[in-house]
Amino acid sequence: MKLLLVEDDLQAADYLGRALSDAGHQVRHAPDGREGLLLAGGGQAYDVIVLDRMLPGVDGVTLLRTLRSAGVATPVILLTAVDSVEDRVEGLEAGADDYLAKPFAVAELLARLNALARRPPPREAKTELKVGDLHMDLLKRSVTRAGARVDLQPREFRLLEYLMRNAGRVVTRAMLLEAVWNFRFDPQTNIIESHMSRLRGKVDRGHGAEMIRTVRYAGYILSEPS
Amino acid sequence: MFGSITLRLAAVYTAVFALAVAAIGAGAIAATHAALVQQLDRRLSTEADAIAADYAEGGRQGLLDELEERRGAPGELSFGVQTVAGAPVAGPLARLNAPAGLSAATLVAGGRRHELRLLSRDLPGGYRLLAGGDTAILKELTRDMTAGFALAFVAVIVVGAGGGLAFSRQVGERLSAISGTAEAIIDGDLSRRIPVVRAGDDLARLALTINRMLDRIQALMESFRQVSSDVAHDLRTPLSRLRQKLEQVTLETADKERRSHLESALEDVDALLSLFAAVLRIAQMEAGAGRSVFRRADLAELAHTVFEAYRPSAEELGKTLALEAAAPGLVEGDPELLVQLMANLIENALAHTPPGARIVLAVQTGARAVSLSVRDDGPGVPSGERGRIFDRFYRLERSRSSPGSGLGLALVAAIGQLHRAQVQAIDARPGLEVRVTLPAAV
Repeated sequence: MKLLLVEDDLQAADYLGRALSDAGHQVRHAPDGREGLLLAGGGQAYDVIVLDRMLPGVDGVTLLRTLRSAGVATPVILLTAVDSVEDRVEGLEAGADDYLAKPFAVAELLARLNALARRPPPREAKTELKVGDLHMDLLKRSVTRAGARVDLQPREFRLLEYLMRNAGRVVTRAMLLEAVWNFRFDPQTNIIESHMSRLRGKVDRGHGAEMIRTVRYAGYILSEPS
Repeated sequence: MFGSITLRLAAVYTAVFALAVAAIGAGAIAATHAALVQQLDRRLSTEADAIAADYAEGGRQGLLDELEERRGAPGELSFGVQTVAGAPVAGPLARLNAPAGLSAATLVAGGRRHELRLLSRDLPGGYRLLAGGDTAILKELTRDMTAGFALAFVAVIVVGAGGGLAFSRQVGERLSAISGTAEAIIDGDLSRRIPVVRAGDDLARLALTINRMLDRIQALMESFRQVSSDVAHDLRTPLSRLRQKLEQVTLETADKERRSHLESALEDVDALLSLFAAVLRIAQMEAGAGRSVFRRADLAELAHTVFEAYRPSAEELGKTLALEAAAPGLVEGDPELLVQLMANLIENALAHTPPGARIVLAVQTGARAVSLSVRDDGPGVPSGERGRIFDRFYRLERSRSSPGSGLGLALVAAIGQLHRAQVQAIDARPGLEVRVTLPAAV
């Protein structure tokens, strides 16, 4: 996808740019807020803007507000050196779609970029999710696999729903913690692993092909069994 | 009452003054009495001398005339003459029996008793002269003086107690301003100062001195905080670069064994980074940053989420996690931080208990406070070390080898402090209970 990276730290920008290109994205770099604003508001349409919060001249939050008030709806992921609730609230209120504290693993940024770029428009409210022979009815809150009922706890249902909405893409532990539990800290205990192993037991057991897989050092992926 | 030093001082001073009044009174009365008796004795002696002189001049008749002349009004001196053998000759005191010299006697005359001071002197020719002075006036005077001093005694006590109370209240108000400031500072508001009223007196000077000390402490704390967060912040930048490079090399390495070494190095860097992040967060919270996003939060609901998140992991570790939260517990706070507080307490309990342990997360709602606690039935913490478990990097001897940064409970304490909560470590007999008591939302 086409990405705009607004980052003043050239060393970090170089590294990130290369890692994102390696992952198959087209990256345009803007070294400061003014250029970032010009590029983002210009004719070229980007799929996602990766925006550093602290920039010389026009800072990230101001840039974001300006873009949003000009009607630019491109998804924005805000990168920040300080992870405080106040800063995050300010960033999200300014119109950021996601928020990532530095330093982060490239895999984390890639997963979040993927989730953002393919986020369906909000008015397109789905009532049913379907991946292979796995069906989820969002109204009846029921799940079937190959026609057989799968009984889930409410939190397992939300976990599976998030995986299905991001089917075919890696989701990280941090993304799951945020989306399903609203936890924004790094637990020392493997709470995601424990829940995931229960969910896999219910979704995959007895169905030869696995749908939920662990991606080493990144997270999980749900996809049609190949 | 004696918990107030000013009240105690006032009481002691009042008692000392009252005793002084009593002593001065007693002394004054005794001295006055003695002086009056002496004066009376002198008069008696002078009169007796005069009468004796008249007798020497005028003989027996002169003596009797003189006595008749001196028969005066009550209160005046009275006299009598008797033979040396005691037979009365003339005068109201003629029948009294008295030793030679000065003595005390009682005369009953006209149905009234008179206490007398008596002087008996033998005259030539076998006569004895008796001169007496009524001491009633003396007694009256003593009584009046006693009454006067008693009144003064009572007045001293009343004025002393009243003054002491007023003084104590005034000083008490100023002292409570000082302790109120200290409480606010303990609460984390280092900018509070003691209000200085009535400049110039010793309490005001004390307040100024304490305020200057607080300025100094605040400056030191700020520079310490600045230095430690600068260090943590400045170390983050090179560490982040290091992480980037390690990650890059890891991604480019195909050799499996090398790759796994690199990955483990990457994990170490991440652990360091999260340590610095925790130090920075604690510093920010200790500075009171974050209260601006406080909103109403239900501790029972948050506890339910945390409980449900951790239950499967606890079970995998062979431990039981239970929730006791019957009623909503509304507080003002940052839900994210409160969730982290509970998670840290549960992780602490999971890390320090053997398999089979039971861990209870409980929320209790009172009228003024909501308490949140995590208790376990593990080995607990020795009483001497219980207060220190909230210190940064503090670890029990037996836990040194187990993983963990030593910041989990320090973060709990910092989050608690930010929420103006009381954080206690309690002996759960057996095991440890950490209780965080937050003010209930109004």
